[in-house]
Amino acid sequence: MLELKDIKLSYGSTQVLNGVNLSVKRGDVVSIIGPSGTGKTTLLKCINYLVKPASGTIAFDQIRMDYQRADKAAIQAIRLRTAMVFQQFNVFKNMTVLQNVMDPLVVVQRKSTDEARDIALRELERVGLSAKRDSYPSQLSGGQLQRTGIARALAVRPDVMLFDEPTSSLDPELVGEVLKVIKDVTSSGITSLLVTHEMQFAKNISNRIVFMDRGVVAADGSPAEIFDAPSSPRLAQFLQSELAFQ
Amino acid sequence: MIPELLSALPLTLAITFTAMFVGFCLALVAATLRVRRIPVVSHLTDLYVSYARSVPVVLQLFVAFYGLPLLVALMGAEDFFSPTIAAMVGLSFYHGGYLSEVMRPAYLAVDRGQHDAADSLGYTFRQKIARVVGPQAVHFALPGYGNSIIYLIHNVALVMYIGAADVMATAHLIMQRDYNQYQFETYLVLAVIYALMCLIAWFIVRFFELRSPMQAPEAMTTTQIKNALIASV
Repeated sequence: MLELKDIKLSYGSTQVLNGVNLSVKRGDVVSIIGPSGTGKTTLLKCINYLVKPASGTIAFDQIRMDYQRADKAAIQAIRLRTAMVFQQFNVFKNMTVLQNVMDPLVVVQRKSTDEARDIALRELERVGLSAKRDSYPSQLSGGQLQRTGIARALAVRPDVMLFDEPTSSLDPELVGEVLKVIKDVTSSGITSLLVTHEMQFAKNISNRIVFMDRGVVAADGSPAEIFDAPSSPRLAQFLQSELAFQ
Repeated sequence: MIPELLSALPLTLAITFTAMFVGFCLALVAATLRVRRIPVVSHLTDLYVSYARSVPVVLQLFVAFYGLPLLVALMGAEDFFSPTIAAMVGLSFYHGGYLSEVMRPAYLAVDRGQHDAADSLGYTFRQKIARVVGPQAVHFALPGYGNSIIYLIHNVALVMYIGAADVMATAHLIMQRDYNQYQFETYLVLAVIYALMCLIAWFIVRFFELRSPMQAPEAMTTTQIKNALIASV
């Protein structure tokens, strides 16, 4: 369904992605783990072209694009089939919760206001935010903001959900409510890529774990393979430090 | 005296509103070019903004007053020129350059994540500006915009130096006619007129500031906005 080949990207003189290859099948729930600064978020942002890789190719079903010859139509087609949940929430600050979820449906997907409203209300109920639909982002907690972000992403009916460290900016007591919603989303069968430092959560909800290190995919396998029989000392060391911390 | 001064008010307001409107359009273009960095064009815009911000306003008015006739002569439209037109042009350029440096930081103050979220959802550039980034930038720009309008109103008083008959010029004519007998009273009335103009402008801008959904943690009702405005006066 989604295939990334030989993705390379650098920020100035720092090489962040050093030839990443990743393929995702429909229905996969893939957790991407790894130390900070290894390019996990950057890789996710390459998929919907929020950052521009220096080279590499992406294939998304029939859509194919070489990043050296990026074309607007392909970028837009991929963006319309993916939805991203951000670490910093990135809920539109000038809109209410309901408007946040409705707006992409009306503006981008050209749905009628009534239809968009129905969809938005359903998604807000799904994430438990119906009561906050008329609130502005400045009136919400971190957990509520992230659930708004998730509802907005779900409302556009994406083929692939991209979760970029969705709980990293949350206070510990708010993490649970967001993880519960993500678990509900991923168990519904939607293809998902999840960048996370929540090791136990990744193990529970994913059918595949990808370990990134120094800008490449250093290990790729089922949760059992990755967590119970780490293939490299580097992975074992990373898991040990993460699990010890948690 | 007061009716005479007030008779010059329409011209003062005409100069102010023209400079406000033309300056706003110039500022929008200048801020866009300075953010998007188009080779040569953006550098020329930098030069314009630097001129508008660093050269004293009275000097900019003289440049417009003496430079404009040369320009209109080249275009064969000498009849078009008057001190009022020079005042409008000079102040429009000043206000545009000054305001562009209110708009540009306001645009840049919008969190990068807001752009990313809109892009990732498939908003086009225009949709993103109209729906997400624009309204947030307006919120950041409003206090600076209010200040720039007040500065503009103050600087309109300088147009008398190039012979435009605004309230300040009219006041001087009245004082000279009356052998400078009522200078204090005349300046006092003038001060009240300027203060009222600034107050009204500030009131309007502040109203929009308070109405912004990003302003208050709780949505403000009309009564609350009214009370906040009165309290801040």
